[in-house]
Formats: sequence, C-alpha cells, structure tokens
Amino acid sequence: MTAAIRADGLVQRFGALVALGPLDLELATGKRLAVLGSNGAGKTTLLRILATLARPAAGRLQLLGLDARQERERLRARLGYVGHHVGLYPALTALENLEFFATLYGLGRPESAAALALVGLSSRVPRRVEQLSRGQQQRLALARAVLHRPELLVLDEPDASLDCDGYQLLGQLFEGRTVVMATHDATLARQVCDSALLLQTGRDAGDPWSWHSGDPSRGVARVGVS
Amino acid sequence: MRFLNVALAVARKDLRAELRARELLPALAQFVVLALIIANFAFDLDLVSGPRMSPGILWLVLVFAGLVAFGRAFAAEKESGSLEAMLLTSAGPASIFAGKALASAALLVACEAVLLPAMAVFLGSPISVAVVATVLLATGGMATLGCLFAALAAQTRARELLLPVLALPIWVPFVVVGGKAVQAAMTGQSLTALPLSGQPLVILADFDILFLVVASLAARFVLDD
Repeated sequence: MTAAIRADGLVQRFGALVALGPLDLELATGKRLAVLGSNGAGKTTLLRILATLARPAAGRLQLLGLDARQERERLRARLGYVGHHVGLYPALTALENLEFFATLYGLGRPESAAALALVGLSSRVPRRVEQLSRGQQQRLALARAVLHRPELLVLDEPDASLDCDGYQLLGQLFEGRTVVMATHDATLARQVCDSALLLQTGRDAGDPWSWHSGDPSRGVARVGVS
Repeated sequence: MRFLNVALAVARKDLRAELRARELLPALAQFVVLALIIANFAFDLDLVSGPRMSPGILWLVLVFAGLVAFGRAFAAEKESGSLEAMLLTSAGPASIFAGKALASAALLVACEAVLLPAMAVFLGSPISVAVVATVLLATGGMATLGCLFAALAAQTRARELLLPVLALPIWVPFVVVGGKAVQAAMTGQSLTALPLSGQPLVILADFDILFLVVASLAARFVLDD
C-alpha cells in the first residue's frame, strides 16, 4: 500500500519557539490517524502543514505522492480541510455558501445540494449561516471540505460542537479516504481512526495509551502508524 | 474563463453579504455626508469658494472612504478563516484577489454615487461626464492597490495602522492626475488642455492596467504565505 503522507524531520518554528518536531510520520492510503495531545502540543501546527496552509521551517513532506512544497495547487484540489474556524459567510445561506465554494472548485449546484444532504442540512437550505447552531455550522464546514470529493481529509477537532449523530456522520465522511484528525476525545479517536499519534510540545510522545483526557480508561492505542 | 467566473463569484458573494449585513455601506454613506458638512464649516464655503475647493474635498473624502472600504476587504475573511477556505480551493489567488478588488471598487462607486450628488447640492460642484469618468478610472486603480495592501496588512496585528501607511503614498499618482482632471472638468476646461504628458483619462487608465498586472502577480505571494 502506498503512503498518502510521508513526512521526514518536519519542524515548525515561531521565532525562537520550536512548535513542532522534528517529526517523522507515515500514513498509508485509506488509513485514518488521530492526532492527540494537550493544548499547545502542536496538533494545529501539524495539521496546518499537512493542509498546505503553512510551510514547515525544515523537513520534507510528501502528500498523495506529491511534494507539498512544490505542488501545492495540485494537492489542494485533492484535499479537504476544516480548521478551528468554520470559515463560512454568516450572511449567506447554507446552500449559498456551498455554491460559492463549488464555483471556486469548478463544480456546480448539484454537488452543493448533494454535500448539504450528506451532512443532514437539506432542511436548512434557506437559513443563513448566522441562524444555524454551532454544530450545524460545523456540519456545513465538513460539507464544504468534502464538496470536491477529496482523497485526503485534514480536520482540526471536527467533533467540536457535534452531537452523537455528528460522530456517525464523521465515520460516513471518512469512508474511502485518508484522514488526519486532531481531537481531544480519545473515545472518538478509537471509534473512527485506525491509528493515533500523541504529540507533546511538538514531538511524538510515544505510546498514545499514555494520553487521556481525565479518565485513564479513555486512552487509545497507537495502531498501524508505520 | 475560469478566472473570470471565480472573480465574479467572489465579488458577487462579497456584495450579497454586504447588502444583507449592511456593515459598511451605511457607515460609508454617513462618513461621506459628515465629511462634506465638516468641510463646509471648516473652509467656510460659499457659492464662489465651494466649487473651487470641491476637487480637493472630493479626493480627500474618496481617499479616506477607500481606506475604510478596503480595510475590511480581507480583515473579516482572515478573522473568520474563510480566506484560508478560499485559498484551499483550486481557484488561483489572483482570481480571488480580482474578485475582492471588484467588490471593493463597487462599494467605493456606491460611495461616489452619494458623494458627487451631495457635493452638487451642498457645494454647487458641477457633475459632468468627465468628472464621473475620472473618478471611476481612479477608483479602479485605487481599489486594486488598496486591496493588495489590505491583504498584506490583514496578515499583521497593526492592520488599521499599516494600510494607510502603505496605501496613501502609492495612491498619490491617482490624486495628482485625478485632482487636476476633476479641477479642469469642474471649471469647464478641456481635459486635453492640461499640462500633463497625455490626456489624464488615458494616464489613469494606464495606471489602472499597470497596477492591475502588478497586483495580480503579487496576489499569490501576499495572500498565500
């Protein structure tokens, strides 16, 4: 199986602060990786690099067989990302938001409607985003991320504000895709991911079993990170 | 074709959002009217001095209204994370930038639609085709540069301070050429009689093309770090 993500010695610095790395990572195509760790551990920094939104200070990164530094535009057409902010337009309706992003991807109206239906927001078509709950906005952001049927999904705490159905939705969206997902919920990580990476002050902290969010029984195993 | 589709979609989205949220337009219209009232009292304008001072007042108001209009173009997108979402699509940064500049220019044109008639009413300034053409051509270039610097300033914390520092010096050519052209048009002179190497409208159009090309090339580096 080919590697969807191959990172060698990734480092990210903000001034004198080393926020990430050096970090090596390899994830096979179709596998799902949960990135765990406390606040400030470097999860978002890693995800922003994987989403090609930030360039690492050092190290090499290959995504979907392409060099992340050289082939950024080609890569972006093949990856979906949801960050901390939902990145939607509050004054536009849910469908208008998706139609706008569909135009930017060179897609049409049917894809927008299909993505909206996929995340269970078809009945919210006429509502403006500012009238949706935070959880519904998160669903809409997920719909935008999968609008163009990306092979790789990079999600920063996608479970934020989602209800129980939302967890099932994540499983649905992950089908057939390579996924890297940061989360504080180890139970969810175990449910929807094949493997886990524990970060501590920007470095691989080893056995993710050692990480828990309050309850030691909620630890996750590090499975299949090759 | 795809470039144009994306640019128009971005501009349409910005204008639709503004028409619904009404964050900027009412404030800009209010600013324009207040600026005229202040100028009226500060310069103690009458029917003779009003038309003479009008070109200067026009450009002062336009420049500061532009700073307000362009300042929000990228700041709001940056704060909400939607700029990143746009950049992660397969649309090029240049087309996204063109759409933002188009929407910002449309906002400034809406401002001018209030400003020029208000000046005619309060200051007795004549409105002619030459005045409107000059203002519109200057708006295009000012919007292009203003948005480029707004995108740059949006990456920093001191964005409100940085935008005027960057934009005002580069807008000087528009104010110089546009100012002379409007002055001539308002006093009934022919624009071709001005002591400029070429017609002012042609010079403004040249500036527009030059800065549009420069901004399109720079957009990738400014928007996508």
